Amino acid sequence: MAVELFGTTGAGAAKAAAKKIAGAAAGGGGNVADFGESLAKLIDGVEKTGADANTAVNDMIGKTGEVHDAMIALQRAEQALQLTVQIRNKLVSAYQDIMRMPI
Amino acid sequence: MNEISDSAVLAALRRQMTVAVARQVAAAGNLANVDTPGYRAKEVTFDDVLGRRTGAALTATNALHVGASEGADAISIEEIDSPPRRDGNTVQLDRELLTMGKAAGDFAAAQTALAAKFRLVRYAINEVR
Amino acid sequence: MSQLSAAVSAAASALNVERTRIEVAVSNIANAESTRGPDGQPYRRRDVVLASDPVNSFDSVLGNAKATGVKVAAIVADQAEFRRRYEPSHPDADAEGFVSLPNVDAPQEMVDMLGAARAYQANLAAIGLIKEMVNKALELGR
Repeated sequence: MAVELFGTTGAGAAKAAAKKIAGAAAGGGGNVADFGESLAKLIDGVEKTGADANTAVNDMIGKTGEVHDAMIALQRAEQALQLTVQIRNKLVSAYQDIMRMPI
Repeated sequence: MNEISDSAVLAALRRQMTVAVARQVAAAGNLANVDTPGYRAKEVTFDDVLGRRTGAALTATNALHVGASEGADAISIEEIDSPPRRDGNTVQLDRELLTMGKAAGDFAAAQTALAAKFRLVRYAINEVR
Repeated sequence: MSQLSAAVSAAASALNVERTRIEVAVSNIANAESTRGPDGQPYRRRDVVLASDPVNSFDSVLGNAKATGVKVAAIVADQAEFRRRYEPSHPDADAEGFVSLPNVDAPQEMVDMLGAARAYQANLAAIGLIKEMVNKALELGR
């Protein structure tokens, strides 16, 4: 799920965009790199939970896995994705607020 | 302070469900063979490796990290120690039904707790102002 | 789909087997006094031989907890001696006035039948429990 939405290039683009937004929002201070890095890690995490969910569901269908494991993996992927999307929304809206400020 | 991390709790609940499933599977096999001559009833023994280590090493630094080596626990199956009947069968019908009832209860309890924890996270994510 | 559904298959196999045991017991009881069958011999008691029947053998997260079902290995004729009863007036009585009767012990057949019925009920209950468990697991994904 998350993997399809981001895709491998999508995740790269998302990470680059996240760093850029973080950079603009903080005005280029030293903390930006850390924040951008944290965001990049978050997106990596989303990809991983998405991949885990795919694996778990495949296992469930392919007989070696159990239903509850697949359900748990799906929930975690969903929540990781929701969290990331919310953060992205907040970042975007903060960026827009900043851009609207008169100099 | 020795708090139990979120991911440790999730791992513990997930393990409880997995063990319950294993017990159910073993009991179902026993029940199906209650009249099979020579069949020895089996039960699940669960070496709670992860549970013993929980206090020490499982605090996650990031909410998205998965708990350490979840395959570490050994679910193994052994024959029960019970005198066989004349046909060599050791399955006791009531005992197996009881096991299945308990396993179903453990499973439901863990599921309810997990669902509640998921709801908490979902609420936190969605109610951002 | 998982060991849990394999467990349902195991319980279902038991339903078939126990039903067969009941049918054979009923047939034995019904023929307990049949002194002359199609082969001219008294009815010979039939016995159901069971054997365990593994549902699958692939590796799973449950280690070696696997579902084992059951099957009817064979339905054999009980080779025990026929009963003999002194009844000279019986059409099938032999030269000494004894009748050979089926080697069926009706009370024992009843006991076997009740045992099979009980096992049937238990396996039916097991299927219900497992179905509930799968439903609960699926609820987690909602």
